[in-house]
Amino acid sequence: MKKNFVGFKKAAGVLALAVGLSSALAGCSGSDSSTGSKAPEKTTEKKVQEIRLVAANHPWTEAIKAQLPEFEKETGIKVKIDSYFEDQLTQKTSVEFASNSKNIDVVMFRPLQDGKMFHKSGYFADMTGYISKEKDYTKDFIPSSLGSVQQDKKYFGLPLVTETEVLYYRKDLLEKAGIEVPKTLEELEAAAKKLNDPANGVAGFVARGKRAAAVTQFSSFLYGFGGDFMKDGKSTLTSPEALKAFEYYGNLLNKYGPKGTLNMSWPEAMAVFTQGKAAFYTDASSLFTNATDPSKSAVADKVGFAPFPAGPNGSKPYNVTSWALGIGANSEKKDAAWEFIKWVESKEMVTKLQAEGNPGARISVWDSAEGTAKFPKDLAESIAENGKTGTSYDRPVVINVGSARDSIGDIIIAGIEGKDVKAAAEKADGEFQKILDSEK
Amino acid sequence: MSEKQSPIKSIFTHFGVYFVLFLFLLPFLWMLLASFKTQVQILNTEKIFEITANFNNYINVFKEYNFLSFIWNSFVVAAGATLFGLILGLPAAYSIAKFKQQGFGLLILVARIVPGISFLIPWFIIFSKLQLIDTYTSLILSHMLVTMPFIIWVMIPFFEGLPHELEESARVDGCSIPGAFVKVMLPISGPGIVTSSILAFIFSWNNFMFSLILAGDNTKTLPIAIFNFLSYSEINWGGLMAASVIITAPVLVIALFAQRYIIAGLTGGSVKG
Repeated sequence: MKKNFVGFKKAAGVLALAVGLSSALAGCSGSDSSTGSKAPEKTTEKKVQEIRLVAANHPWTEAIKAQLPEFEKETGIKVKIDSYFEDQLTQKTSVEFASNSKNIDVVMFRPLQDGKMFHKSGYFADMTGYISKEKDYTKDFIPSSLGSVQQDKKYFGLPLVTETEVLYYRKDLLEKAGIEVPKTLEELEAAAKKLNDPANGVAGFVARGKRAAAVTQFSSFLYGFGGDFMKDGKSTLTSPEALKAFEYYGNLLNKYGPKGTLNMSWPEAMAVFTQGKAAFYTDASSLFTNATDPSKSAVADKVGFAPFPAGPNGSKPYNVTSWALGIGANSEKKDAAWEFIKWVESKEMVTKLQAEGNPGARISVWDSAEGTAKFPKDLAESIAENGKTGTSYDRPVVINVGSARDSIGDIIIAGIEGKDVKAAAEKADGEFQKILDSEK
Repeated sequence: MSEKQSPIKSIFTHFGVYFVLFLFLLPFLWMLLASFKTQVQILNTEKIFEITANFNNYINVFKEYNFLSFIWNSFVVAAGATLFGLILGLPAAYSIAKFKQQGFGLLILVARIVPGISFLIPWFIIFSKLQLIDTYTSLILSHMLVTMPFIIWVMIPFFEGLPHELEESARVDGCSIPGAFVKVMLPISGPGIVTSSILAFIFSWNNFMFSLILAGDNTKTLPIAIFNFLSYSEINWGGLMAASVIITAPVLVIALFAQRYIIAGLTGGSVKG
């Protein structure tokens, strides 16, 4: 024991030496490498202001990069863009925000997935003041899109990219069978039944069936049947309307869907459709280039678009802001950040970016010929039609969106598997209510 | 392993080996094939093995996505973290082995057991106060949490396995302990050092979480950059697979060449001298 102790002292000595030596070395390397990479921003005292935009890997981000020199010329504000894939973006920004970092000036975020959590945690600066300074600023924005970035009449962001659920269909198959484009869910089911041809490898209908991923695309069905996720803080997953919607959606995929829908999020479902193996497909409008670009789709010239079919309660498809811009709460350059947001949200800029295929939130741009030039004609019409009666959320607006989606996804799965939907709904109802209660 | 194997048994063994090999290699093969295809061809399940030599994906990876700089970033960070991990880790491992400091060794292991994500917020605060976000320094320092404990734990049994008479004779000839370590023990530890540094290098090369939070545009490493092929409404499968091949290739080449050392190093510690 004693010997051991002496040994420890010696060892500690050697170690201390080693640590001291190498930390000195590490120190050297530190200065070496930081000169190797670009020196950290210490330019704040200069006149040129630089703001940092943390953005998603998104066509919008690519498009805006090309326009930045113009903004810099106009305002003298330099914009630095960091971009990440969506889940990583959430991780990265939440760590930075949680540590009270001042480094995020403008942030691109998903209002429905992260918005409530970020907003409640105080990550965003309130934009209401900036917006109210401009006269009638919000008048030109699609109301349901604005709804996604508002709470208690305060704005924590401005809608940037919008999307809505549309019906993708195969023109050639419908024509051959002499079927009209379905306008109601009832007609959709009849048409899917008629076109379902498993012997030739063509399914009548395909859509997402993977647990959480399916929830957003199911939401339009739910609203069409008159149901909703919740009302006044109470889960409404077991309402008769909701049950009908779950049964309808599950039935459609169970009877007329391809094999393996339970594993399908959009990349898989889209692949089935673009390989010519399904007649109908419901998903977000923002995915359309996957279906119409010949380098990605084997049926590029045969794809048609229609507004989301109406249910017993009318047509209430989701029409949401999938991406929005916010200002970091700790940013020291909030005015410059607002300058930038105002510029990218200006009518001219939205028109320019929308002409490149980035669906914006301005009504006047959707009404202009220039704004819809890049979109297939029937798709632009469908989006405009959906915009009239759209719902501002495609998932329950809660803080724990992830677990809520998992619970609701369980009912969808039960429906697709042809199991007892009511029993599944009752179970999910309890779980979902627990989430709602915990957030009160 | 019996020396006399009946032919039937041998056939079954071979069949089993190839079957397992096939299962393991299939995803790799798919990746390789897909990297030469267009999006439409990749998604077509009927013609998986149809190959058309099409290098567009690879050209894009370098031209459009600028992968050379990401490769360089990853290399600098992994090499730096391994090098400093060795400088700190080798003497540490040696002292732990020589003076039987099992408790201390365990303490170092705890650093590996604690989930890495719990370090991230404190680190981010510290590094941003030091203005070190988006520099190689912060990345190398953070990656040392990955490399150093690993190097120490591979090297402890290795040093224990070396005959300690060697050190004693060096001491008799007038060497100090550090001197004996540097002049006598290190030169004969080649296989162990090579093994631990290769594996440490690979762990750092593949590390995602630390790089995600601490890197910025100037120092983005490969595992983060590969997500450039996934965007909100589009997945560029061909590019993704081409980039995966590029990321895997150096590791694969290193592993193949150093295989002998790795095996010697991993088993080296278990045979006591």
